[in-house]
Amino acid sequence: MIQTKGLSVAYGNRKIEFPDLQIDKGDQLLVLGKSGSGKTSLLNLLGGVLSPVSGNVLVNDQDLNSLSGRKQDKFRGDNIGFIFQTPHFIKALNVEGNLQLSQYLTGKRDDSHLDQLLQKVDLLHRKKDNISNLSEGEKQRISIVRALINKPEIILADEPTSALDDVSCDTIVQLLKNLSQENNAVLVIVTHDKRLKDQFNNHIELNAI
Amino acid sequence: MLFKLSWKNIITRPYSSGLSVVLLASSIMIILLAILTMDQLEDKFNENANKIDLVVGAKGSRLQLVLCNVFHVDHPTGNIYQEDVSFLSKHPFVKSAIPISLGDSYKSYRIVGTELSFLTNLYQTPLREGSFFKKSLEVVAGADVAQKLDLKIGSVFHGSHGISESIHDHDDFDYTIVGILKPSGEVIDQLLVTSLESVWDVHPSDHDKGSFDLTKEKTHAHDHGHDHDHHGENHEESKKEVTALLINYSSPRAKFSIPSLVNKKEQIMAAEPAIEIKQLVDLLAPAKSVLSVLAWFIFGLAVISMIITLLNSMKDRKYEIAMMRVSGATARVVLFSILLEGFLISLLGILFGFILGHGLMELMGYYLTMNYHYDFTGLVFDFIELWIIAGVLLIGMISALIPAIVAYRIDISQTLKNKT
Repeated sequence: MIQTKGLSVAYGNRKIEFPDLQIDKGDQLLVLGKSGSGKTSLLNLLGGVLSPVSGNVLVNDQDLNSLSGRKQDKFRGDNIGFIFQTPHFIKALNVEGNLQLSQYLTGKRDDSHLDQLLQKVDLLHRKKDNISNLSEGEKQRISIVRALINKPEIILADEPTSALDDVSCDTIVQLLKNLSQENNAVLVIVTHDKRLKDQFNNHIELNAI
Repeated sequence: MLFKLSWKNIITRPYSSGLSVVLLASSIMIILLAILTMDQLEDKFNENANKIDLVVGAKGSRLQLVLCNVFHVDHPTGNIYQEDVSFLSKHPFVKSAIPISLGDSYKSYRIVGTELSFLTNLYQTPLREGSFFKKSLEVVAGADVAQKLDLKIGSVFHGSHGISESIHDHDDFDYTIVGILKPSGEVIDQLLVTSLESVWDVHPSDHDKGSFDLTKEKTHAHDHGHDHDHHGENHEESKKEVTALLINYSSPRAKFSIPSLVNKKEQIMAAEPAIEIKQLVDLLAPAKSVLSVLAWFIFGLAVISMIITLLNSMKDRKYEIAMMRVSGATARVVLFSILLEGFLISLLGILFGFILGHGLMELMGYYLTMNYHYDFTGLVFDFIELWIIAGVLLIGMISALIPAIVAYRIDISQTLKNKT
């Protein structure tokens, strides 16, 4: 499903090299590492948001970096769902509007799927609410819905729990695990949050050089 | 969906979007007011000026001569003796020479003493009801006067001396309405037209007074027993006065000969409405330019305000935009959505600008109609307004291009790294 080979990025003089990865369909992988270890860079590389200095990322045998900017954007919308530490939404739109926008951007309008997902994160009743009225935990749950709205094959989560208390943290992790499983999607979480370590069998650690 | 996104982005920032819209609307309003006023002014002027080739009257201001005798707005000029201008009616280049005599009014509407051909040949306004005047003191009312003063066939009124206020009423003479004209949209709608004899009867010529000369108060009592049937003979004996002669040429050559012929005379003067009006419009042109400059200045502010508003909002929204890109939005979609915002703001500005511009013009129209008896309205449209709409929309989108390009160039990975 995802293969990486000889990936590296450079920030000024600092070069970060990443171990090669091989992730199969339905796998769940936790990437642990301290700040500056390049966790986020790795995730951005996998999502085709960042271009590597060397090496390549193959998703379903498709080299992400060989795609033109426009095709990369499309590919991302169709195949990858992102979740960030701070969930950003379009403030001008309500919960439903934000989710519909994501559907619109990939051309997949599906209201029942939208409602189903909201139901699963237990936020169907907040559908018409403004984003600013949600708590951080609720926002993160909505961002999970957004990541899953277009039925992606890959879910990439960057520090999804760092801003949350233990209870919310647990909810989010369970949701991420269960929902990616249901959708038969690859789940990659990068974090420095040690609370997550025991929840995943499959984990690697990145060390800053 | 993109339309909804852009629209919501505008209305969630009501103050900054509002400022851009208000500035745009104001500049459009000012441009429209300038255009509509000048258009209608020129139209009215030309419409009336083109009917008459030459005005002959007492020496003085040419513009005043034209304004008072053709447009019926300025104070009347002094009188001239009909015998001094009688040679004009016989001139082979002259098709018609219609005398008019001004000076009195009724409730600020002017009473014009003239010949029947003023109605039948010059303005060619048909009667709505009644008949043309046949005897002294019979009056045909213009459509607007009749309506506003509620005059009907058989209505009787007293003229007052002067143009604007009742300084002196001619109580002894009863004018009677015998006919009402159909509306024509021209100055005739605002006039009370009667025969020259009426004016002569009310102002006996032996007084030898200028038509608006108020220094000599009438001291004599009007001759109550005066028999109208005989007044014609009386006037034959004295010199008859009129305010002006409205001349139409029969030959294009008249243009070169008649004015100089008139101007050679000592007591009289000629003025060509077309030339005087062109000069007047030229005089007003700088006012139009000043308004235009002001409008463009405000329009410039509006454009700058819109650019800054959008740029600021880009700063607030860079995470949102990065997020959109991550969700599959191409850079082009982002560019387009910002351009759409510029387009919508411009559209709002145009909408309010047109409502304000035409609305205010309509209000001013009421005022102008009340004070000058000239109909102005905000419900007319100039072809140039289409260009204004197109231009503003285009400029609105062009100015949205700068913020749109900023959004287009957002580096997703860098933006998302700067965690808040």
